[in-house]
Amino acid sequence: MSKKELNKESRKELTKEALIESLKFPKDVCMGALKVSMTGNREAWIENYRGILEYTDSLILLQGKTCQVCFEGTGLSVDYYTNEDMKISGCICAVRYL
Amino acid sequence: MVKFLKYIRGYLRIRVWGFSPERFMNLCSNKGILLWDIVREGESYYMYISLKGFWELRPIAKKTGTRVAVLNRYGLPFSLPGLMKRKVFVLGLFLAVAFWILSSFYIWDIEITGNYQITEDVFQDFLEQNQVSIGMKRQDLDIEELEKQIRRSFPQVTWASARLDGTKLLIDIKENDAPIIIQEPDTTPGSDLVAEYDGVIVAMIVRSGVPKVAIGDSVEQGAVLVEGRIPVYNEDTTVREYQYVDADADILLEHSAEFTARLPFDHIEKEYVGREKKSWYLKVGDQIWKLPQESPFLVYDSVIRESRPQVLDKLSIPVFWGEVTYREYQNVEYLYTLEEAKNLLNQKLMVFLADLEEKGVQIIEKNVKIEKDDTSWVLKGEFLVREPVRMSSETVRDDTEETDENE
Repeated sequence: MSKKELNKESRKELTKEALIESLKFPKDVCMGALKVSMTGNREAWIENYRGILEYTDSLILLQGKTCQVCFEGTGLSVDYYTNEDMKISGCICAVRYL
Repeated sequence: MVKFLKYIRGYLRIRVWGFSPERFMNLCSNKGILLWDIVREGESYYMYISLKGFWELRPIAKKTGTRVAVLNRYGLPFSLPGLMKRKVFVLGLFLAVAFWILSSFYIWDIEITGNYQITEDVFQDFLEQNQVSIGMKRQDLDIEELEKQIRRSFPQVTWASARLDGTKLLIDIKENDAPIIIQEPDTTPGSDLVAEYDGVIVAMIVRSGVPKVAIGDSVEQGAVLVEGRIPVYNEDTTVREYQYVDADADILLEHSAEFTARLPFDHIEKEYVGREKKSWYLKVGDQIWKLPQESPFLVYDSVIRESRPQVLDKLSIPVFWGEVTYREYQNVEYLYTLEEAKNLLNQKLMVFLADLEEKGVQIIEKNVKIEKDDTSWVLKGEFLVREPVRMSSETVRDDTEETDENE
């Protein structure tokens, strides 16, 4: 992808975001952004993901529409996993967006 | 609730291992198969899956190159075949459900609230007359008609509501707090106020009628105090006609009253020996089943304690179980001491005095003594009391004068 195309792409993104902002639409639905809610560092609820890429007890890597999110910690497990949402529990040390 | 639903539908604990278990999970979620409690141990993943979802696993497992092993089965679909083998259990379950459903078609209890003037007995008689009774079919009950009937039959009921709560019929009524005004007839035959006792008039306020006595007069029993016949005079002071009214007046009559109470010297008291026997029974409606029990002692009394199983109390089915305790006793003769006799006689006197007070009688003088005669203690009381006159009798009509006038 050339520099020009990339610029065009990011400008398009920005316009879309501004439009959604002005119409007060929920961003997670319209832009397909990942939604993560956490209770302390023991539980996390995630919505708007595509799937699990990697799952071990120290790392869970999820694929979103625009990015990936990685939960790192110890004793991680998936309490439930459906098409809509999932719950991760365990001791979460870091959440990284890739 | 969710757990219960999962149990009803059945679920499994499975182990997944192979080429790409993560993809296996993603495909499951895409197909709407719920996975929960996913744990990784070594190269294997352990998770729970619904029974319905499990049947759809084969193509997913094939596509992702994973293998699935069932570790445990949970829920009704797995335990039901085992239960069905126990025929008596199934029959009992079926009968219990049938009994439950059948009994819910009937009314098992009637509760009345908000009644103060109308007693429960009166209301129950009324319900019986209207064919509303315990054990009737719910279908046969016309609630609106019953409400109308209540308002029609009891004029003091201003509001009535009936509703069914399960197998219970709840009737809520509101009674009129204000006194009911009875329409008095315009024409009255007339009535006099008459002295109940021999005595002296000490106060007198007449509202209607003609006073025949004055304050300070001595009157005899039966004497007319206020007459209900009011003469209407002509100009020449002869009587033209009589108007008849119900005499009404506040009159205080002072008279003497007596009170005598007796108490025999000896009396019989129960003295419990200490021996007790118990028996049990079951009551359904009016039917009682008792354990066979011969007369337990020569002389005894019994205490019955009846209770209802908690569940049936909610369901309102009249089933009770009871415990009868028989207590043996002996009749022992005792003599009252003076102190005991005084106490008991005084209690009787108090009841008499309270009775007087309720009637609005004032006590002016009191002379009470306790004596002994051949067989008993005797309490004699002499009182001087002031009592409001309430006795009335119909006015004697003197038609001769009227006919004289007519002539």
